[in-house]
Amino acid sequence: MIVLARRLVQLVAVVLAATFLTFTAMNTLGDPLFNVVGFVAAVDCDAVEAGEIEDISGQGGTSLGDCAVVAEAREEFHLNEPLPIRYGRWVGDLIRGDFGTSFKNRMPVSTVLADRLPKSLLLMGMAEVFAVALSVPWALAAAYRANRAMDRASTIGAFGMLALPNFALGVILFYFFVVKWQIFPSRFEDDNLAVRLKSLVLPALTLGMPLAATYFRLLRTDLITTLQEDFVVMAKAKGLSNRWIMFRHALRPSMFSLVTVFGLNTAALIGGALIVEQIFSIPGLGRALVEASIRDDYPVVLGATVVIATGFVAINFAVDLVYSYLDPRVRRES
Amino acid sequence: MTVPLLSVADLRVGFATQRGLLRAVDGVSFDLAEGQTLGIVGESGSGKSVTAKTLMNLLPSYAQVEGSVTFDARDVMAMAAQGERHFWGVEMTMVFQDPMTSLNPVKKVGEQVAESLRVHLKRSRKEAREESVDLLQQVGIPEPKKRLGQYPHELSGGLRQRVVIAMSLACSPRLLIADEPTTALDVTVQKHILDLLDELREERGMAMILITHDLGVVKGRADQIMVMYAGRTMEQADTATLFSEMRHPYTEALLETIPRIDMASHTRLVPIPGNPPDAVDLGPGCPFAQRCRYCSAACLPDQPDLKQYDHGRVCACHTPVGTEAGVAAHVANRESGVTPAGLDMGTFTPVEEKA
Amino acid sequence: MGQKGLSGMDAPVQTDPEEQFGVAVVRRLGAGFWIAASWIVVMVAAAVLAPWLPIADPNETGVGGRMDGPGWSNWFGTDSNGRDMFSRTIWGARVSLIVGFFSILLGICVGGTLGMIAGYFRGIVDRVISFSVFVLLAFPALVLALLVIGLAGQTLPIVTMTLGILAIAPIARLSRATTLAYSEREFVAAARVLGATDRRIMIRELLPNVLIPMGALTLLGMAITIVVEGGLAFLGLSVEEGFSWGKMIVLGSSPRTLREGPWVAMFPIGAMFMTVLALNFAGDRLREYFDVRELGIGVG
Repeated sequence: MIVLARRLVQLVAVVLAATFLTFTAMNTLGDPLFNVVGFVAAVDCDAVEAGEIEDISGQGGTSLGDCAVVAEAREEFHLNEPLPIRYGRWVGDLIRGDFGTSFKNRMPVSTVLADRLPKSLLLMGMAEVFAVALSVPWALAAAYRANRAMDRASTIGAFGMLALPNFALGVILFYFFVVKWQIFPSRFEDDNLAVRLKSLVLPALTLGMPLAATYFRLLRTDLITTLQEDFVVMAKAKGLSNRWIMFRHALRPSMFSLVTVFGLNTAALIGGALIVEQIFSIPGLGRALVEASIRDDYPVVLGATVVIATGFVAINFAVDLVYSYLDPRVRRES
Repeated sequence: MTVPLLSVADLRVGFATQRGLLRAVDGVSFDLAEGQTLGIVGESGSGKSVTAKTLMNLLPSYAQVEGSVTFDARDVMAMAAQGERHFWGVEMTMVFQDPMTSLNPVKKVGEQVAESLRVHLKRSRKEAREESVDLLQQVGIPEPKKRLGQYPHELSGGLRQRVVIAMSLACSPRLLIADEPTTALDVTVQKHILDLLDELREERGMAMILITHDLGVVKGRADQIMVMYAGRTMEQADTATLFSEMRHPYTEALLETIPRIDMASHTRLVPIPGNPPDAVDLGPGCPFAQRCRYCSAACLPDQPDLKQYDHGRVCACHTPVGTEAGVAAHVANRESGVTPAGLDMGTFTPVEEKA
Repeated sequence: MGQKGLSGMDAPVQTDPEEQFGVAVVRRLGAGFWIAASWIVVMVAAAVLAPWLPIADPNETGVGGRMDGPGWSNWFGTDSNGRDMFSRTIWGARVSLIVGFFSILLGICVGGTLGMIAGYFRGIVDRVISFSVFVLLAFPALVLALLVIGLAGQTLPIVTMTLGILAIAPIARLSRATTLAYSEREFVAAARVLGATDRRIMIRELLPNVLIPMGALTLLGMAITIVVEGGLAFLGLSVEEGFSWGKMIVLGSSPRTLREGPWVAMFPIGAMFMTVLALNFAGDRLREYFDVRELGIGVG
């Protein structure tokens, strides 16, 4: 219970700190008003009212009517108030479950998140399933015959895989499977689940292969360390088969680094895979975030930040829970 | 004499290293009858653990093994090569030095004890559990049912070693190898564990190999004692013969390193000078010559063979303790103050002359 | 005899001759390290000397035809504007390497110092710094980069600085852990007993020990920042003037360009891959050589 309470406090603190940082940066470095009313935001209304500026170009922006639009927008989004008060207002709304309204299309942020998040989560899920399904058996096989040909080749392969940035891998996969052989669609298709899954295969591979290489390296190293433990020698002396020892004795104590890094990666992918979503045109949370930050659409960015920070803390918590499942000694301490 | 349960003949184990072949075990032979205990004694690096690991098929694949090992007329080496599944852990089992590390920290005690029963004897989960309770009871663990559900870190060192013993007894082995079973334990617990092993051996009529660096441990417990040094057998005899009169200077030196209850309280313990030799680069002579106060000129160029003595004792020494040659060498060394190997005799406290 | 064994088990401690008999293991960097280092040196030299090398002007159009494949006159082919890809790949190295090196330098200066302060003084200072680091880590790195670069401008210094800021949190974490480990050691306690000031202990006793792992990590960090810069390019946030490998890959990766001339994307990908591989490999070997352990991840 105390653990849970501490985690909640941590969650609130992290969310507040991250959103405050974003809020301040977006409001001081950029101009949110610009995105609400367009170019007229730059109008110097005092000068217009004083009649000092005239509409020379004939494109608007100097009339009193424009000034009314600007003033209205300021009022609507409370842009006249000082920053801390506006931040406080935002937090207040958040507590009531209101994420605010996007500047683009005046869509509720919660709607945007509800639309984008599932796609990113699906992509993350596929990538992680792929990475784990590939790396765990691979590491077991390599550690089983450590330093033999297969192990050496895999180690080198994994090392090479990690030097290939995922956008480069994405471009290569895109070139072969989309442009050249035309096996997969070039953008995300959303007709039904099968189509959705199919159009996520390449992005998931792009994300999953470097992850698989990372997981392989961690698990292989830890397995080899575990296999040199006395209890493995003891298990051998008990006449247990190598397979039994691998799966029932060595695997579980070897999974700590894997779980840690799995958690970190999963947390990072909750916010969507920005670049991969970009390459494969997937309308996930990552792209929403990119578009919104470029457009200074801070309600959306803040909403996404809340989701991401919450995911980060939640997954850190989940990782701790898995630790205590993996190692009874952790259980006692906590 | 009947056919021995275990017969090891001219066992040699080598490891290729960057500097050359490391001879961890170099021509070891012994027989062990059913129900008997053999004590193997030596310092670390003497090859006693490697011998045990060879018997248990636990050596790494790069080990070079020669010689023959026969267990109840079965060729152990051949079984290892064929990947025999139900011999180790069933007929022949082993208890390791450190109970802290020889139990899997993430598995419950019950799972670990029941494992052998399930794998080798194909017991059902329930049967295995019942037998596990029995086993824990036999090794003197209180509240065995409760212990099954606990993890190793929840048990004390002594209890853990009892669990390890229970594990190795699960399939009623005919030979139990105990490799320094009490070294990692508190002194107060050591005797309990040794006595327990002895009782269990007695009850079950199994044979035991007790490996230790401490002659005191095997004194009242082993039927036969083999003293190893640098991978070789130095002296082997039945326990009574060995302790009544030791022939090998190394055996004598080992005995002087342990305190005895019958010693006067201020008797100094005599450490063995120097270190065990480098097993990659053993010169021609006796491996112990550099540290031996009975060393003679013959010991340096010429490695002594194992020779038969009275009461079935074998000993590899040119100048055995208590023989004419030995006394003469010792007297000569004391007079010159230095052994032929260049060891200062002053490093030894005076020892009682043996006639 | 043990040939049926798990070879992962092949070094049980008691029977391992090297462990048991202390046979010295010669520590060497190995040929692979020198190959990797040579590649890095060649890349750096090419990048630095690009203006004086006898290669085509990277921005001159019509050096070859449009979308000429790799050949004798244009080794890496040309792009849709007839610009020489070989020359562009070398010029692209300039931006990528500058960003990679200076951002990690910034990260080490700031993050390293923060980590040392947190690890040395502990207490409230440590908690404040550790929490900030945790927040920075909880904040998606690329979003931070998006914000700063998008709002402050896509110039080389801004991009470099932003990536440097991103590097601060993980480096601070590593430096803190290393400092914690070292400040437990006797030599630090001894210095304290002898009346050395905190400043002196940190600079004279701790810094050299913290710098060694940091040094090995510079190479690994450079590899990461070069890749992250490439990622920024995909979000349209690479440098506006000039171009990095990342930007070149983006330019070459539109479906149409890929169809007509895959080499436009593939050569910069190859250059980046080789360089990142070399940096990773050299960094890894150095880390092993200096026996720097990978520090456990976990928030303290």
